[in-house]
Amino acid sequence: MRMDCERVGVLHGPARALAEVSLSLAPGEHVLLCGPAGSGKTTLLKVLAGLLRPTSGAVRWDGEDVAHLDEAGRRRRQASLGMVFQTDALFDSRTVLENVLLPLHNRGVGREEARARAEAALEAVGLLQAARMRPEALSGGMRKRAGIARALVVAPEVLFADDPLAGQDPATARALCELLDRQAAGRTLVVSSPEPPPVLTIQRWWVVDGGRLVHDGPPAPALIGVEEGT
Amino acid sequence: MSAVLAALGRGTLAAARAAGQSALVLGRTLRAAPRMNRRELLRAFGHFGWESLGICLWVAVVIGVMVVVQSGLYANRFGARMALGWASGFAVTWEFGPLLLGVVLAARVGARNAAELAVLKAGGQLEGLSGISLDPYPVLLAPRWVAITASTGMLASVTLLVAVCMEVVSAWASLGVPPRVFTGSMADALGWQDVLGGTTKALFFGAAVATVSTAVGLRASGGARGVGLAAASAVVRSSFAIFGLDLLLTPVLAAGLSR
Amino acid sequence: MIPGPFTTAVRTAQAVARRGLSARDCLEQVHDQGNRTVALVVTALSFFGAVMVTIAYAQARKITGNLATVGPPYLELLVRDFGPLTCALLAAARCGAASAAELSAMAVNEQVEALELCNGDPYSDLVAPRFVGALVAVPLLCILGTSAAAVSAALTARYVFLTDGMAFLDPRFIDGWDLLSGGLKALLAAAWIPLAASSRGLAARGGSAAVGEATTDGVVVACVGSIVLVAAVGLLFQLLGV
Repeated sequence: MRMDCERVGVLHGPARALAEVSLSLAPGEHVLLCGPAGSGKTTLLKVLAGLLRPTSGAVRWDGEDVAHLDEAGRRRRQASLGMVFQTDALFDSRTVLENVLLPLHNRGVGREEARARAEAALEAVGLLQAARMRPEALSGGMRKRAGIARALVVAPEVLFADDPLAGQDPATARALCELLDRQAAGRTLVVSSPEPPPVLTIQRWWVVDGGRLVHDGPPAPALIGVEEGT
Repeated sequence: MSAVLAALGRGTLAAARAAGQSALVLGRTLRAAPRMNRRELLRAFGHFGWESLGICLWVAVVIGVMVVVQSGLYANRFGARMALGWASGFAVTWEFGPLLLGVVLAARVGARNAAELAVLKAGGQLEGLSGISLDPYPVLLAPRWVAITASTGMLASVTLLVAVCMEVVSAWASLGVPPRVFTGSMADALGWQDVLGGTTKALFFGAAVATVSTAVGLRASGGARGVGLAAASAVVRSSFAIFGLDLLLTPVLAAGLSR
Repeated sequence: MIPGPFTTAVRTAQAVARRGLSARDCLEQVHDQGNRTVALVVTALSFFGAVMVTIAYAQARKITGNLATVGPPYLELLVRDFGPLTCALLAAARCGAASAAELSAMAVNEQVEALELCNGDPYSDLVAPRFVGALVAVPLLCILGTSAAAVSAALTARYVFLTDGMAFLDPRFIDGWDLLSGGLKALLAAAWIPLAASSRGLAARGGSAAVGEATTDGVVVACVGSIVLVAAVGLLFQLLGV
């Protein structure tokens, strides 16, 4: 799916979270969304995923204005999106397996097939042993991987990962990056992070600051105060 | 039979544990109270006291109208309107007013306190405070406790006053009892002891809500569902504490104040 | 901008029409809101029943001299006004706080958005089961609570004041209109409580303070709305003269 933002602005109450952001995302691209805390990264991801309505401007999916889509149309298109949330957003009254099964059940996938796919997704993130545990019993890194499994189980065309490395130790961060890198093959990936993650192969950077897009192009570590090669 | 006994035992143990935790919270809070954070105290007074005024006024209206309607049953059927004022005032200041106010504040104030503490605990912020060697009691918990208790006392006096005024109005509107007759019969039979008794009860109820909701919030676990359960169980346990206290306080206060 | 209880009701109806309703979730909510509130409602109403009789006794001593004569009108008052109002208030406090706190914690933790991307719908998956749960549980709670108040009044009169306790269980003044009025009050409050609490909960944004604020807001709107609805039905019946 191709995604475009045209002069998108978002107001959170009186505060401006995004201003005049225009960009486009082609199928298969891998993008890093960089910027300091509170610069509007999460807001931009949610606007792109259709979870947040922009206050001004337009978001288009394959050329269609999201604001003009009806409920059914929006849901049909959202079905090909996956998101790893900053807070994990796992449902804590359900087990890990039930969390991963939920999107399949809601799409009407049959019981047997759903189970096989959910277990495959958990296997891929190395969480099959923890399938029957509740999210509160998991470590931060495991919760993140459970979130990734839930996002990937529907085989999304576009995968958003909102600051997946926050609060992870270097070894876990590296493992998560390798996992994302493996899973990103053949799909569009947007990863937000305050600094460039290790390992991940990224062709394109978006840098936001104070709600504005200040860079859209090849990796530019100097822009966020990181030396090349570190 | 053994299943019933086991359930009874579990219930008793759980109640004892909850009482113990509350006692622990109360002790630590009182010890920390002299060193508490003044800014947090002001904020808590705003959130728990001032912002509760609206719902307390609603409760006052309900109490006033309901008690008059109830007393009116006797007055109308048995022709003793003169005593209506006394009976209504007595019901409001001693029993009905403090109890209903206590339960509503358990919901308004207790649920909020427990939910906030539960979220802070789930997010690790409470441990974070201890991590930078800040004791959460003087910084966070004692100011809330003091604000909730003191606010309840103040809100009770306002609520009881408004409830009595509402009684005068509704007795006049629905039963046709002239305000002068109503207040006259109230003034004859009710003294400052009755108002003091009701307010003292409410003060104790406030302390119960503060203690129980803090204990429940600190013990919450497990994400959104845990937060919801903490808020609900703060309401339920505070209400039980209020009923228990009412049973204890009514005879004690009645004996103490009538002397 | 915050969708109120009425908007929430419309959206919930639309979402349920589109996507259906999970029986399992509804049953879970009946349990959560019903079974877990029974102890509170029964204890509170027994307590209030005993208190009312104590007050009545104090009055009876001054006025009529016979506590038993106020029994039948007391039961009528209980069924028509006092029972539904008190039970609705308690249910609003306990269930309203639980729903508002859980949903606001979900909203703050991005779980509501996650649900949307899982092809779910917060209105049909979260609000509708709570609505059905309350619609079943709250009227039952009202019946249980009212019975508890009547029985405790009878027992208090019999064993504390040593008069005819059965007078407080004498239904001679209760007619169909009383039952209709009480039932209508219970049903309206049952519909209002989950909608008010859910709409406040889902609108929460921010951190722990937002959860606390949404919880209080939910409780206050649920309680005040229940009071207003009960009073409105009472007034309506008064105007109709029944």
